[in-house]
Amino acid sequence: MNLEDLRNDIDRIDERLLSLLEERMEKALLSRTFKPDGIRDPEREESVLERARRPLRPLVSPDFSGGLWSRIMEESRSIQAQRLVTIGFQGAHGAWSEVAARAWSPTLATMPCPDFADVFQAVRDGWFDYGIVPVENTLGGLVGQVNSLLVYADLRIVAAIDLPVSHCLLTLPGTDHRDIRQVYSHEQALSQCRGFLSRNRLDPMPYFDTAGAARMIAEERPRAAAALASRFAGELYGLETIKEGVQDAEVNRTRFFVLSKRDAVPSPAFAEAVASQKGLTAPIMKCSVVFNATDKAGGLFGILEIFAKAGINLTRIESVPDKPGDYAIFIDFEGEEDDPKVATAIKASESVARGFRVLGCYGERRVSQ
Amino acid sequence: MTLSIVMYTIANHDRQQHSQASRERGLRRKGARMKDLRLAGNLAMEGRSVVEVGGVRIGEVFTVIAGPCSVESEDQTIRTAVAVKEAGATMLRGGAFKPRTSPYAFQGLGLKGLKILEKARRETGLPIVTEVIDTRDVSWVGEYADILQIGARNMQNFSLLREAGKSGRPILLKRGMHATFEEWLNCAEYILAEGNPGVILCERGIRTFETYTRNTLDLSMIPAVKLNSHLPVIIDPSHGTGILEMIEPMSLAAIAAGADGLEIEVHIDPPNAMSDKAQQLTPEAFMRLMDKIRRLRAFMAELNADPEHMLAEQDKTGPTQSRSRAARA
Repeated sequence: MNLEDLRNDIDRIDERLLSLLEERMEKALLSRTFKPDGIRDPEREESVLERARRPLRPLVSPDFSGGLWSRIMEESRSIQAQRLVTIGFQGAHGAWSEVAARAWSPTLATMPCPDFADVFQAVRDGWFDYGIVPVENTLGGLVGQVNSLLVYADLRIVAAIDLPVSHCLLTLPGTDHRDIRQVYSHEQALSQCRGFLSRNRLDPMPYFDTAGAARMIAEERPRAAAALASRFAGELYGLETIKEGVQDAEVNRTRFFVLSKRDAVPSPAFAEAVASQKGLTAPIMKCSVVFNATDKAGGLFGILEIFAKAGINLTRIESVPDKPGDYAIFIDFEGEEDDPKVATAIKASESVARGFRVLGCYGERRVSQ
Repeated sequence: MTLSIVMYTIANHDRQQHSQASRERGLRRKGARMKDLRLAGNLAMEGRSVVEVGGVRIGEVFTVIAGPCSVESEDQTIRTAVAVKEAGATMLRGGAFKPRTSPYAFQGLGLKGLKILEKARRETGLPIVTEVIDTRDVSWVGEYADILQIGARNMQNFSLLREAGKSGRPILLKRGMHATFEEWLNCAEYILAEGNPGVILCERGIRTFETYTRNTLDLSMIPAVKLNSHLPVIIDPSHGTGILEMIEPMSLAAIAAGADGLEIEVHIDPPNAMSDKAQQLTPEAFMRLMDKIRRLRAFMAELNADPEHMLAEQDKTGPTQSRSRAARA
């Protein structure tokens, strides 16, 4: 054991402390739902303090832990009192969905969820104001699970973000890049960087999530290992970027949908902040609809014909398997709800297609490279 | 990111000195010893090979690679890059891994230096030439740089040559300070034999009994390469002489001798450079040199455009009269 090893251990513990603090603040923020008037619960606070102050740990004195926990709870109350707008995303902090959410509005409280279904559920149940999910990627194509969830979700698409995805090779600071042997990341990211990995004789190691891999590197400090994730994930977990943009294709973009409850109305201040957000192109107005293909000749054609005759530009047509033998068809097109041309086409489609639903009309913005 | 595509192309303006007859003469002169140059030798292909990097066609268009000896900081590198580009350089050089005589001397910024060079390319568009000294670094340096340089001290590091051959990046192969012409070409053969056609030779001076200059710049290698190989050859007058005042005359001499390009060290503030203080030009001096280079090249183009003159030079032993000189008189 030497000083360097000890400091490495301390750094690793600090990374975990920070992640845990973040997680604790997230839980505190969610608990505001049960305390609508910001009422304090002295009994609960007392029991938390008492547990923190138990004199069982020789190096953590009751005074120290008590003081620390008083400060933590004070911060929790302050977070609850702020009118923070929340957005759920799938993955660990630093995920590409979170990068997209921050591009849409950096003031959002981004809340990690284990699964896409959890994002949908939490928005529907009112835990989060918004949810953000990837819909399609230029290299990987359709994000199947998300599209399947969209078919039945009683949510509204309120915005779309088109984000460049540039993977960074991240390591612990001070790692000699020549020692790297294993690279951890989501399978999709690994496959997007196959050429780079093979040129440099690096073994791809599939992990559940890109940002999760970055966090694992920071927390567990495996030797000779690196992660492929966003630059933001690298900053978040204190990792060094060996190289940015290691994906094989120069153009790699992912399109995200921002979802909210159907009847949700954003505060004017938030809507204003989102609209004036820099770093994105001006919005292109689009609408997304979903319906079931009718099981007869020309069923799909009938719908497409309506849009073609109305002179509406379709930007995406996608089908996902629904019930056995049935398909849900997604169509995105350019236009606004109150455009009479669009309104007429939607009305005409409703009478022709089975289960026709408008998922939302929204502005789509691109994040520049 | 600029993906450089390396390819052989046959220069369509086959110059007089590369005629079949003169190639055969070159081969005869060296006899059987050159027989192993299956890929580097001039019988490997018709015409001259051209190495294309980021739109620069080395071997066809005169190339000037300029930049600091070492990447010392982002500010120093980017300012130098902008200055050499303004002066007309076609590529940026800069060392991130430095093979220094003393283990205590500045060894280069390593990976940080590579990142700075990458940024300099983004800002100026100049392709990057940088040295690789460790086989473990070859693939990594190739991720940041357009051309990998094998330095004089590593010319016969055969595992490094093989690795460089596998990298798929063009290689600037410097002549070792004690290497014969034949040894040098055989090192190029190592790279070519790995299936990498992008080799550029660079003469940078050899050790002789002369100590006045840092090295003795052997300009006779230019016609030697032209006679015996199809590879482009460039000259490094900075290391070749190690003396500031000699860089200009030797650059001009190299052009007169038919070099395909020059590699010149330029630093934004030479007195405070961390390596090679004595031989780095200021951007102003480099700009003046570039102006003379342009003028001499125009003259050389005029000179070489006259095939009768070339023939006369080869056939006669006495002084020759070129048409262009006659026209001037």
